[in-house]
Amino acid sequence: MTERDTDAASDIDLVRRAQAEDIDAFCLLAERYARRIHLLAAHYCRNTQDAEDLSQEVWLKAYQAVQTFRFDSSFYTWLRRITINSFLNHRRASFFRSHGQTTAVQFLQIDSEEQEALFDSSSRSQESIYNKLLFESVVNALAELTPAQRLAFLLRHYEGMTYDEIATAMNCSIGTVKKGVWRAIVKLRARLSPESDEQETLTSLASEY
Amino acid sequence: MHNCKETREIFTELLLDGIDFRSDQAISAELRRCSECRSEFETLSATLRMTSRVSEVATPAEDYWPAYHAKLRQRLVDAQTPTTSRAQAQRHKEKLGPLFEPLRPGAGNSLFMRLLRTTLPVPLPLAVALVLIAALLIPFAIRAARRDVQPSPTTTIVRVPVEVPVVQEKVVTRVVYRDRQPVVRVTKRATDASRAESTFAKSRTEAVPASLVGFKPSDEVKLTVIKGGVPNEK
Repeated sequence: MTERDTDAASDIDLVRRAQAEDIDAFCLLAERYARRIHLLAAHYCRNTQDAEDLSQEVWLKAYQAVQTFRFDSSFYTWLRRITINSFLNHRRASFFRSHGQTTAVQFLQIDSEEQEALFDSSSRSQESIYNKLLFESVVNALAELTPAQRLAFLLRHYEGMTYDEIATAMNCSIGTVKKGVWRAIVKLRARLSPESDEQETLTSLASEY
Repeated sequence: MHNCKETREIFTELLLDGIDFRSDQAISAELRRCSECRSEFETLSATLRMTSRVSEVATPAEDYWPAYHAKLRQRLVDAQTPTTSRAQAQRHKEKLGPLFEPLRPGAGNSLFMRLLRTTLPVPLPLAVALVLIAALLIPFAIRAARRDVQPSPTTTIVRVPVEVPVVQEKVVTRVVYRDRQPVVRVTKRATDASRAESTFAKSRTEAVPASLVGFKPSDEVKLTVIKGGVPNEK
């Protein structure tokens, strides 16, 4: 029995216990997959707090619906469907609140003011700052897309789902999914390609700190 | 035959899947053959590599997760327990304050709380009658309280003459138009033979009753037609 089979078996066992209203078992499942869900949420939302709220909302919905899980797919596949629905149903306005955003640039401002308190010496390295700015650019590029296009790209790139799987999960055509993914790539390339002005700005900003 | 569109589609999908296809001879040959496709591949490859790289930034540090899971557990517990959960009871208690602390056996219960909790069985018709009487008496009680209000002995009356403007009378002159007596005009056709030759009837100011007495039709009638007379006639 491979490690993956053990995990899957363990998932099934945990799901059965969760269906018997065992919160501890469900929390173990959450600990196992929370990082993946949170990564998607972090790319989908611009705000760190929104990403946390959205990912927790996914887990709450999953817990409320765990009784409906029929073991005809893996737990994560089932969870991903809930994630997709939660992301799409979540109001877009709440994602992009004009206030209270903690962007990478704001991180840098805090960094310059309260360096000793907030960041250790390693996180102050140029690469770390560059990555934060890069993440900001990625999220900004994705924010210019529709929620469906953004989600299609995330599922294709970070989750490795096929176009067919994404189209089924999002209840749209394969052509729509392909178009969304391609638009996301074009946007990202315009912002992140080495020739772009934004990339030069990022490099210069990172070198300043 | 090299097809740029097909080549780009293929290597984009492979890049999205994260597959290293440099060892693939066919695609490598296609890229070597077309400089545009090679440039496209390099920019796309760099872009997707960067997006993969930032996933490390997007994932919070390890010290973030204990608080995250504790919060999630609390939310799951709140979602599982019924509405009268312990947390809600605690919040309710805090909201009401210590005066309304619920009774516990053995605890010192205040007189106020005992009075609040005391009930008296009253028949429903009697209760309704009492409520109605109270509702009727309240307006009278309020009126009586208003009448009883007397000026305090320290109040002094000060008379201040106030000039009140008097409205002056207005003379209105009206012009009354009186209708004149209507003039009755009666047209009578001439009956005489001499007047039968005339084409115009004469007007009279006095009304003459029409009569055919003595009317004798003539054998000949001479008519003279005069054109014109009406200003707008064409």
